[in-house]
Amino acid sequence: MSEGTGLGRALRHHGRQLLRAFNSNKASWVGLVLFLAVVACALLAPWISSHDPAEQYMASRLVPPSAEFLLGTDDFGRDILARLLYGARLSLLIGITATVLALVIGSLIGALAGFYGGRFDLVIMQAMDVLLAFPSLILGLLIVAMLGPSITNLTIAIALTAVPAFARIARSPTLVVKQREFILAGRTLGYGDVRLLGRHILPNIAPEILVMGSLWLGTTIRVESSLAFIGLGVPPPTSTWGGMIRSGFENILDSPWLVLWPSLAILICIFSLNLLGDGLRDAIDPKLRGEG
Amino acid sequence: MRKLVVSLTFAGLAYLAAAPSALAQKTVLTVGVATPDVGRLDPHVATSNADRGIVAGIFNGLTRFKPGQATFENFEPDLAESWISNAGKTEWTFNLRKGVQCHREYGELTAEDVAYSLQRAADPKRSGFSADLAPLAKAEAVDKYTLKVTLKNPIPSLLGLVSNYTGGFVVCKKAAEEMGVDFARRPIGTGPFMFEEYKPQQFVRLVANKQYFRGVPKLESVIYRYIPSDASRDLAFESGEIDMLFGKQDEPWLTRMRKIPGTVAFAIEPAELNWLNFNITAKPLDDVRVRRAMMLAIDRDGITKFRGSNANRVAISVIPSSDQGAVDLKLPPVDIAKAKMLLAEAGHPNGFTIKMIGSTNPTMATSLQMYQAGLSKIGITLDVQPVDNPTFHVQIRKDLSPLVPYQAARFPIADAFLTQFYLSTSTVGTPTGVTNFSHCNVADKEIISARSELDPAKQKALWAEAQRKILDAVCAAPVYESFVLWAHKDSLVLGYELKGSMNLGPPILETTHFKK
Amino acid sequence: MHTYVVKRLLLSGITLLAVLTLIFFIVRIVPGDPARVVLGEQATTQAIDAMRQRLGLDEPLVVQYWRFLRGALVFDVGKSMVTGAPVLQVIGEVLPSTLELSAAALVLGCVIGIPLGIWSAVRRNRFADYVIRVASLLGLSFPAFVSAILLLLAFAISLRWFPVMSSGNSTGLADHLRQLVLPAVNLALIMAAYITRVSRSAMLEILREDYMRTAIAKGVPPLAVVWRHGVRNALIPVVTVTGLYLGILIGNSVLTEIVFNRPGLGKLIVGSLAQRDYTMLQGLMVAYTMIVVAINLMTDLTYGFIDPRVRYE
Repeated sequence: MSEGTGLGRALRHHGRQLLRAFNSNKASWVGLVLFLAVVACALLAPWISSHDPAEQYMASRLVPPSAEFLLGTDDFGRDILARLLYGARLSLLIGITATVLALVIGSLIGALAGFYGGRFDLVIMQAMDVLLAFPSLILGLLIVAMLGPSITNLTIAIALTAVPAFARIARSPTLVVKQREFILAGRTLGYGDVRLLGRHILPNIAPEILVMGSLWLGTTIRVESSLAFIGLGVPPPTSTWGGMIRSGFENILDSPWLVLWPSLAILICIFSLNLLGDGLRDAIDPKLRGEG
Repeated sequence: MRKLVVSLTFAGLAYLAAAPSALAQKTVLTVGVATPDVGRLDPHVATSNADRGIVAGIFNGLTRFKPGQATFENFEPDLAESWISNAGKTEWTFNLRKGVQCHREYGELTAEDVAYSLQRAADPKRSGFSADLAPLAKAEAVDKYTLKVTLKNPIPSLLGLVSNYTGGFVVCKKAAEEMGVDFARRPIGTGPFMFEEYKPQQFVRLVANKQYFRGVPKLESVIYRYIPSDASRDLAFESGEIDMLFGKQDEPWLTRMRKIPGTVAFAIEPAELNWLNFNITAKPLDDVRVRRAMMLAIDRDGITKFRGSNANRVAISVIPSSDQGAVDLKLPPVDIAKAKMLLAEAGHPNGFTIKMIGSTNPTMATSLQMYQAGLSKIGITLDVQPVDNPTFHVQIRKDLSPLVPYQAARFPIADAFLTQFYLSTSTVGTPTGVTNFSHCNVADKEIISARSELDPAKQKALWAEAQRKILDAVCAAPVYESFVLWAHKDSLVLGYELKGSMNLGPPILETTHFKK
Repeated sequence: MHTYVVKRLLLSGITLLAVLTLIFFIVRIVPGDPARVVLGEQATTQAIDAMRQRLGLDEPLVVQYWRFLRGALVFDVGKSMVTGAPVLQVIGEVLPSTLELSAAALVLGCVIGIPLGIWSAVRRNRFADYVIRVASLLGLSFPAFVSAILLLLAFAISLRWFPVMSSGNSTGLADHLRQLVLPAVNLALIMAAYITRVSRSAMLEILREDYMRTAIAKGVPPLAVVWRHGVRNALIPVVTVTGLYLGILIGNSVLTEIVFNRPGLGKLIVGSLAQRDYTMLQGLMVAYTMIVVAINLMTDLTYGFIDPRVRYE
């Protein structure tokens, strides 16, 4: 068996599964393409729009879409397209960093808890339950208010809300894997905990965690935009999707497009991730495979 | 079965969709305010715009601002019918109106209540405006309808101090003593409207005080609804759910409201001054050339024009132009070349970067962005650490930011603004500190002697001198003044000409009513 | 079973205590000062200090913490620092709005989600299945404030079918319901998306069970089989999941309340955060935590009764 012989092989094994599932699930292709398009837009922002997202064209405030401003301008006379594109950078940056952070910390916690079991497990998982008991938006709200809204603090706050979920996800497969023969064999061979965990357990639970990561990416982006909408996002003049909707909402009677464009952007981004994550999960979860 | 369910659902939906919204009762005025919820309806601690508007309908002062005016002249009798003072203006005798009834059977209002009220407003444990009443030595009832007020020293504004504004509001003693802190949730006054009902986050309802001494109010009730979102308030107004609203405080809002048929939109006094405070003791701002350069780099006219000239006007002094005693200092126009020269002289030819704290409050953040843009032209970068508004207010008072953008109007007499923002004893971070963010100390002599100057002309000259000195030392860079914006349906008759309101909202009087 | 219940209750108690402690300290680390909020920007340092003393903010943190814990035990969470109103009373006054909204959303979400999920499972890999699955994924992708704003734009602003605000004094049942429709639909659509997915996979599992296969093989019409055996069994996981998604429902209700200007716990929490109303924030967080812990406890216990295999390890 390929089990327990390193991350590379595990990933190769799952990679094949993945490709198979992908081929049978056109939706995940659509998701992947859409998401890559969003990423490309964010990366190529300066080449797509020639405007600076913070530049205020005082003479052209709230103008509808035109050749100069493809999606129009906001109430400060800033180019909406540019703000959308740069907003994508921020959403992705915060979303991806927070997810990776939560994934690493959460799965380490979960794996350790599952591996050592006993009282340690009980305490850790109870602590995770405490965190989990808070609705993530409200937890984020409190943490951001506590630390102050900056990109770093937002990332930390959002990551914290996702840590318990990853801990739970990582724990259960660890419980299963550690009962397998090869781990027990490893123990009798005198392998240390670090080696067992690092070389044998983590690679085996990695795929599931990665899939959860892709699903959670959508959630973290959503939480970021929700916080920005409440007014606890990265402060202006930095453009964020949630913040654009927040200020657009105040002008909804005059210029509904201020709200519609960023709404569409958020929707496309999260939807593409959900399509993708859904496909990936079907690929990994043998119980659901072939039903997709 | 399924058909039945479907058709029932549709019938239900159609019914819901078609049900008429409540017909506006023409004796009920619904006002949309911008705060999320009530604060304290005790006039001596009420500070939010909405709270102050509500208490203004419940309470009276000894005198009152002419309804619709916010200027410091011609105080009208309110609870007092007449008054006289000694030559030194330190002893004042007020003759009270007879037969004024406190709400809810709390009995006739007497000099005893007024004396109690003034003492209460002067007590820092029970009042947020105790500093304003610091000159008060004694307030005592001579008889049932005569009140004697003794001052430690003459002040320019006693009639204003006892007017229908903050510490001047008169509470009914028996009710205030009986209820203690709960008075803030069941205020008892003598005004045209009585507190009736409060639903958290939803509304406060006042009802007509049928015993009101100026006559029975024409409106039966006034409902203040808490709608923090500007857009929601606008929507509610346009759909007829509210009759009057506190606007989004910017020019486009005013322009749009003025285009809506059947709507009257106002830009009223007191206009708040928007300015930038320089901490004159912090490097590199301790060099007056640096401060002057920064002032010259901020395009006052450009910013005012950008903000719109119906809702704003250019600042003329370091205090709001509508204050009694404000003088036009002929502020220098934007001059980038000269600013650069000054900076170079001061040893910063390439400018510098300075850290500061900024509020995420939208109005403040916008102003700050415009200051940033101006200063960047002379190489000065404002490294703004944004915090939310409550945090901002705490941190700037701890003297944590060398540059403080601020927006304020005060009691409309030069003394109030000068004292709070430029007197050395008001310096932030000190025990007596209020809001002197600049550590300004150049005009102490003038500010203090103007207070007890009995000759109005000399007093004015002292105030003018104080303003000049503060500008010369560049403690502050004044930029623009923004009016308070309101709108209401034109079927509403306020009963006076609306130009301003110290309580920041159109006063609702006993004569206010709807046209048939 | 007995020890399980006791153990579970004990754990809930510990969780609650931990959360209360966390709340107390988080709330106080948030910079800002309620005394400043109460007295406004013109107040002197002296006045602020007097107010802090009156609010009990000058006492050592430990003393404040002890008082808070003792109060929380007997459900006395004090008075609002900003308005002076008893916190419990304020919460009690807005709680019905939140409960009403959540309940309406939950019922509506189930009414839409469960049949769709079952239908999708039965028509697996057919056109209807694809449409439903994509639609439910789309529903999952909506941040609640985006969908709320879109609903508001369409049905309150353009079509004017419903009022733009859901707060204030309704003039009767019809008016009250009209105010409830848009916020409830907004939450329900997102809820339905979750429920559709859960009931679909639950139904798929059941369809694989032997008794279902046998029934279908016997020639019993599929719909009848689904109705008789499937739906009931599929409901169990749906119930659990509803408990699980309560957090999401609460988060979404905050956003919905803001957009529709509806009174409720969510708006209260955002407001008290802005005003640094420590006591109100604590009270709210205690209320939230109690709701969440209670529901977790209930789902766990129910599960324990239904399925003895699922016992807390």
